[in-house]
Amino acid sequence: MKRGLIVDDATVMRMRLRDILQAKFEVVGEAENGARAVELYEQLKPDFVTMDITMAEMNGMDALKSLVTRYPEAKVVMVSAMGQKAMVFEALSQGAKDFIIKPFDPDRVIVAIDRLFE
Amino acid sequence: MRVEFANPFVTAAVQTFQKEIGVRLSRKDLKLKDSPVPSQAISIIIGVTGAVRGQVVLSLDENVAMAVTKAMIPGKLPVELKKLVNSAVSELANIITGQASILLAGDHGKIDITPPAIVMGGELKMDFLNLQTICLSFLSEIGSLELNIALTEGTL
Repeated sequence: MKRGLIVDDATVMRMRLRDILQAKFEVVGEAENGARAVELYEQLKPDFVTMDITMAEMNGMDALKSLVTRYPEAKVVMVSAMGQKAMVFEALSQGAKDFIIKPFDPDRVIVAIDRLFE
Repeated sequence: MRVEFANPFVTAAVQTFQKEIGVRLSRKDLKLKDSPVPSQAISIIIGVTGAVRGQVVLSLDENVAMAVTKAMIPGKLPVELKKLVNSAVSELANIITGQASILLAGDHGKIDITPPAIVMGGELKMDFLNLQTICLSFLSEIGSLELNIALTEGTL
């Protein structure tokens, strides 16, 4: 079973994503900001990460850059309300594998994670 | 403040409520004010920078906040409900502002938003900068809410 790390500053969104992902994947950790996400990634070495963008301390875009620089094999899917074209382009060009815009359908999340391992 | 800035927020609020809460939101009123001071008990403040800048303040009462929380949390509600209410309404404001920013940014602009700050208690006094504000109020089966939009064109 693939192991995932959820990164979002909103507790309700972490609960929601855990609920969706647990049906098919193992959620090994949750982080409430980008800095904690980088720490947990190093400790847990998950197979994939769902990454919010607007967060205090270190935002999701900076965390994405940090993770991809240190771990080029990192599979990061952005999950954010900030789905402007410029943001989506920036995230994908920095190494994100997909970009899910909130509000989302649960199936969209499962499909995006499945696609990482095809 | 351009009145056109209001339309993306109406669209975003209606769509987000439909999708996240399963509730139909209808527009009640649009007023112009001198500052984004909210009128209801719980307020979520989000800063906006980039192609458009200023502040957005979502304001709602406790019953609406509870209904939003119940709708956003999977399964049964855990014990630490107050924290979750804060989280749910903050996330709701984040999604509405994020969705509106997609429409405002269009094909070329870039807009960033700050993490939400939440203020509870209608009696609390808050000072806001004097910013011309569009106050949008909405009605729904779970209660009413308002969006105070104080935005100006920023730099690209």
